[in-house]
Amino acid sequence: MNPVVEGLNALLDPTVMLGMALGIGLGMLVGMFPGITATMAVALASGFTLTLSPVAGLAVLLSIYTGANFGDRIPAILVNTPGTPAAISTTFDGYPLAKQGKAGLALVISGFAAAIGILLSMVVFSLAAVPIASFALQFGPYEFFALVVLGLTVMISISSKSLIKGVVAGLFGLFLATVGRDPMTADPRFTFGLDVLSDKLDFIAVVIGVFGIAEVLDQMLSHNKLRLKPVASLGRWWPNKQEYKEMGKPLLIGSVIGTVVGIVPAAGADIAGLIGWDRAKGLSKHPEEFGKGSFEGLVAADSASTSTLGGALTTTMALGIPGDSVNAVMLGSMLIWGLQPGPQLFSDHPDLVASIAGIMVISTIVALGLNLFRVRGLVKILDLPRNYLWASILILCVIGTYATTNDIDTVVVMLSAGVVGVLMKRTGFPAGPVVLGLLLGPLAESNLRRALVIDGAAGFLTNPIAAILLGFAVFAFGGTLVGRIRAGRKESASKAAALAEAKATEAR
Amino acid sequence: MKLHRAKPEGSSANAAEPSRRPGSEEETIVHSLAEGISAEELARVEEMEREVAALQAKPSRKLERGIGITLVVLSIAGLIGSRAVTVRTETGGIDPRWWPTVICALVLVLSIMLIVVSLTKPPFDREDLEVTNRDGWQRLIWAIILVVLYLMAWKLSGNFVVPSVALLVLLMWVNDGRGLKALVFYPLGTVTCIYLLFHTLLRVPL
Repeated sequence: MNPVVEGLNALLDPTVMLGMALGIGLGMLVGMFPGITATMAVALASGFTLTLSPVAGLAVLLSIYTGANFGDRIPAILVNTPGTPAAISTTFDGYPLAKQGKAGLALVISGFAAAIGILLSMVVFSLAAVPIASFALQFGPYEFFALVVLGLTVMISISSKSLIKGVVAGLFGLFLATVGRDPMTADPRFTFGLDVLSDKLDFIAVVIGVFGIAEVLDQMLSHNKLRLKPVASLGRWWPNKQEYKEMGKPLLIGSVIGTVVGIVPAAGADIAGLIGWDRAKGLSKHPEEFGKGSFEGLVAADSASTSTLGGALTTTMALGIPGDSVNAVMLGSMLIWGLQPGPQLFSDHPDLVASIAGIMVISTIVALGLNLFRVRGLVKILDLPRNYLWASILILCVIGTYATTNDIDTVVVMLSAGVVGVLMKRTGFPAGPVVLGLLLGPLAESNLRRALVIDGAAGFLTNPIAAILLGFAVFAFGGTLVGRIRAGRKESASKAAALAEAKATEAR
Repeated sequence: MKLHRAKPEGSSANAAEPSRRPGSEEETIVHSLAEGISAEELARVEEMEREVAALQAKPSRKLERGIGITLVVLSIAGLIGSRAVTVRTETGGIDPRWWPTVICALVLVLSIMLIVVSLTKPPFDREDLEVTNRDGWQRLIWAIILVVLYLMAWKLSGNFVVPSVALLVLLMWVNDGRGLKALVFYPLGTVTCIYLLFHTLLRVPL
């Protein structure tokens, strides 16, 4: 049978359909809940999907991924609080629209933009993944090491206010990956004679710790009695002809930007949304309306952030380098199922790739349908007592981790990662680079050591693909550094001007 | 309540955020009233915005310096640990000690840079975090102690159900949960669901 038909047929299995339904519902709920990110939900779910078949497990994980990308827009529009970082740019125009009594319209337009963004990016996934995977078959140690450096550099550049802290977080992840046996000589490193560390740190345990436990502990630390008050007057729901027309241009800008950002290893939806919104503003006939309730701004931001999904999946499945942190967690689960994302996946399991595309498309359409229901009642979830939420997440983190190895010591690793995670969060170190470093560490170390033994460091310059990838990494890091220095100077100058003005006023 | 506000003016993390012109607030109010949202609702929503802004964590130079110093200590410990790794065949050069040593050396250099930055530049804003409070620290410490005790009880007794119910009851108690719903129905219901899902359906040996 044709692998595409076979892959799509697998979706008719009742377990897979149930997994998708569960994932979409769960994804929308966690997306709506500020503080629970899609990464955290996927990390938690990965604990109990490991016992399922790969297609059923991926149905749950991928549906959470898409569902969260719809749910997170609801509090962004109604409460000015993005459910996940991906919806930060939705607040720019979504909330002002809600304050103008157009919340219903904003929710519907946002839902359409998000769905079209994902579907367009899945077209790119379907067309680009196979050629990229075939190209990656030529990669050797130099190219793989350069690819890891590029992924880490991009994530470091965008995930922290301090570049130094971002680099330290990435290095910490690489260091954690050295725990266990050396990838080339199998000598034990940093195992302290403990069985739980003798192989390597359990990836899923660390991910659940830094994204799940750390978030709950941080919420416990800073909880207050403040109640969010959503905008209650939703106004009309369906756009008119003119509003549909206005959506075309920003939709195209957002989708193209989002897909490109998604393909860049480790670059996520939050940054794509910001860039998409900014570019659409630059190309709009009415840039002055952006930030004050512009439909164009809302559409560009939402389509850009959601169209990263297809791009990120392309990088993850074709190269084996996670496109964002959710994909990093999924990649870890796939490794446990015995599936190695990367060029070989397309030749060994072409049906699974078709299943992945099918799950993404179906879950997007279903989530859009759910999103078009009048969702005002859903924001009541924000009033859920936190003590129930904390206790539930804590025990689910424990059981989910235990299920991966049936060993309580793995839960101790998860708990330790959670405590380290909350310390990192409070001190401004991003978790994304740690997880990426942990996942890619063995790949980076073994390829670098192999490369240095084969041809020395000069090989990075004589291998054109490796040189180009490293060039991109330098460009990404240097560009961010220069941008931040300029922004800092601008801020200092404006502060100085304000101070001088205040002094002059005082003197008068 | 965890709130990620898209606010920080001038923050590099949100460089593309719209700038708020003076007077734009008035414009919004005029729009709001014209489109049907009531003045009371607008006032209520804006009051919430102010309350949320007041809860943002403040930048701290002392904290940044402390982070740098802690990292120096940790990276030196890492360097010592890396050099102490025992290898079966001494080859010198690029051996199993090399990679962790390189990583720790880089972290050491970066932590010194962090200390220098903390002494010479203003501290980083922490607008994406909320302020902590005394109750919060108590909740955190209790949660960690209870989970550690729970894991010990589970490991020593080999029984999942009783320690899990006890954990949920105690977690609810320390987080102000009172009454039958919080202390009886919720823990029993949750543990039953988990047991049925994991032990019965997914065949995880609990």
